[in-house]
Amino acid sequence: MTALAGPQVTTFTAFRATLRRDLLIALTRRNDLLNPLMFFLIVVSLFPLGVSSDPQELTRIAAGTVWVSALLASMLSLDNLYRADYEDGSLEQLLLSPQPLYFMVLAKNIAHWLVSGLPVVLLAPLLAYMLYLPADAYWTLMLTLLLGTPVLSLFGSIGVALTVGLGSRGLILAVIVLPLTVPVLIIGAKAVADASLGVSLGMHYALLGALLALSLSLAPLASAAALKISVN
Amino acid sequence: MSDSHIHNPDASGAVPLLRAHALFCERDDRVLFSGLDFDVQAGDLMQVQGSNGSGKTTLLRILCGLNGSYEGELYWRGVPIEEDREGFLASLLYLGHRVGVNKILTARENLRWSCALHSPVTDNDIETALARVGLAGYADVICRNMSAGQQQRVSLARLLLNPATLWVLDEPFTTLDVHGVRTLESLLAEHVLAGGAVLVTTHHPLAVPCTLRRLNLDTRGANNS
Amino acid sequence: MWQWFFRLGSPKWFYELSGRWLPWLVVAMTVLLTIGIVWALLFVPADYQQGDTIRIMYVHVPVASISLACFPLMAVAGVITLVWKMKLADMVAKCAAPIGAWFTAVALATGAIWGQPIWGTWWAWDARLTSMLIQFFLLIGVIALRSAIESPDAAARACALLSVVGAINVPIIKYSVEWWNTLHQPASSFSMAEDSPFGPEIWVPLVIMIFAVYLFFVISLILSTRTEILVRERRSQWVVDLVAADKTQGA
Repeated sequence: MTALAGPQVTTFTAFRATLRRDLLIALTRRNDLLNPLMFFLIVVSLFPLGVSSDPQELTRIAAGTVWVSALLASMLSLDNLYRADYEDGSLEQLLLSPQPLYFMVLAKNIAHWLVSGLPVVLLAPLLAYMLYLPADAYWTLMLTLLLGTPVLSLFGSIGVALTVGLGSRGLILAVIVLPLTVPVLIIGAKAVADASLGVSLGMHYALLGALLALSLSLAPLASAAALKISVN
Repeated sequence: MSDSHIHNPDASGAVPLLRAHALFCERDDRVLFSGLDFDVQAGDLMQVQGSNGSGKTTLLRILCGLNGSYEGELYWRGVPIEEDREGFLASLLYLGHRVGVNKILTARENLRWSCALHSPVTDNDIETALARVGLAGYADVICRNMSAGQQQRVSLARLLLNPATLWVLDEPFTTLDVHGVRTLESLLAEHVLAGGAVLVTTHHPLAVPCTLRRLNLDTRGANNS
Repeated sequence: MWQWFFRLGSPKWFYELSGRWLPWLVVAMTVLLTIGIVWALLFVPADYQQGDTIRIMYVHVPVASISLACFPLMAVAGVITLVWKMKLADMVAKCAAPIGAWFTAVALATGAIWGQPIWGTWWAWDARLTSMLIQFFLLIGVIALRSAIESPDAAARACALLSVVGAINVPIIKYSVEWWNTLHQPASSFSMAEDSPFGPEIWVPLVIMIFAVYLFFVISLILSTRTEILVRERRSQWVVDLVAADKTQGA
């Protein structure tokens, strides 16, 4: 170690600083925080208008509706993840930090989930009530969203990282990312639907947990590689 | 403030800090440079010159590892760069065209983050560094409310806060006023005199009290002036 | 071994080698395809349940099996692109994506046509059809990403990465779709085992058709890759010479 390279920070410090910074930015830009949530609310309320207001019918589609809307809302919020950093050059600084990129990307993804995924989880029971979801499925809905929305953020992050350098990225992002999110949607929505039927849900949670573990360990690596490609 | 003025034990060394061998890069079917060789020694202030589009920015980005579309070899202290990327990055400070300053955050918040990626700093360090680059009292101003030159100065404060051996600066003078230019020139001189090394692109004629080496991408080849 | 590997990476070498192989591949495909189609359409006995409808299996199964092979192929090419920066791998991956998408579309269409008399509907959310549909979307994503990125180098690496991510996802998608839809018939494996419900008069033409369609895929891929090679290497001397020689021959 040369004298000109001073004391190094630990990876944990860098991780915490990145998390803190992204949360700070998100809290300063309240609109970015609120818009996906409003979008979630609006999309869910479109279903009774478009399908039927019959409680029985709504009960049947409630699980899927809430899950699909959560998926779309998380897609909408993804653009904030790396775009500003790409445009102002912070992303280059992140890539040139001597810290393992995996943890830096993970910090950004966690921050993104805390401001876009967690509010969706918390708002979900209200929407579920509006859709006449049976009461015994509420906890399942929240729990599956709690396990599933981080996976959406992690997968979405790969897509955003791949497209961050492109001029028009709105639609291509959805085209890339949505097919990847199919397993989460399937398992999450089925778990909620099965909950009202009284089926044992151990398998559902195990599968969602496995998906979360897999994406936690692999997706940030893919995002990091994608970011390197995009700034090239 | 973290001290960047300690003498460099490697200053005697025959092994150059950074060595580029047979660099080749083409973009959009056009060869930017090929067979490019040069060394950067401790204590070197090297100005990369060339007409617009000659590949100055591309060269700097290749050296940093931001651009991977090149052929050739790069060595950091005699070791191929890809073998010890973390060690290289720990000794590197890069300031690009885009200054890396988030406009929503204050100068202090910006610097706190970018420093947290490299080396620990205190609030006091940040204020001292900002004062040195002419931004005394601006620590808690949101960067959106600053001029382009002031934002550039915020990024220059990192030169004082992150001790790094090699500075790679891409057009750092563009938005600076006369005072800013003078401050930066003295920062560059201090750094190389302390045994650091600087690679810089600029169209601005550098007035520095130390030897200036030039790498001209149009005529190709490093020479001293 | 490594020398061979890197020679294979040379577009010129591939172009010359594939040029020598192409006629033989085309002959083999034509023979197999003719035998397979005539056998399947005229000589295979009608199924005791499905009647003549069963004959579409001889198109659907080969096409579907090759479209399942497409993602692993692109992922392998992607890994080679990312690790060894081999240009040929990316050219193959680039050409495989649209061909794979076409094969997937044909597999979906033939699946729908087959399903019509059996399920009484053109589209059923059958596990295999559904996961094939999702895989089609994934391929469309890769193609869209390729066309959206201007720099060929960045596009190559971005698509390579997306293909690898997609290939990891394909089995997960397949599994979750099957789990979601367990009501439908289990995948009818046409195993060659003795106890197979199909007799040899059924599966031998099927195997012939599979080989024929595989050859068709390989030939399409080679032709498309050769075009891509010429476009990308248009400035290199051997392509210039080739074009000049072609012109004098034509004159």
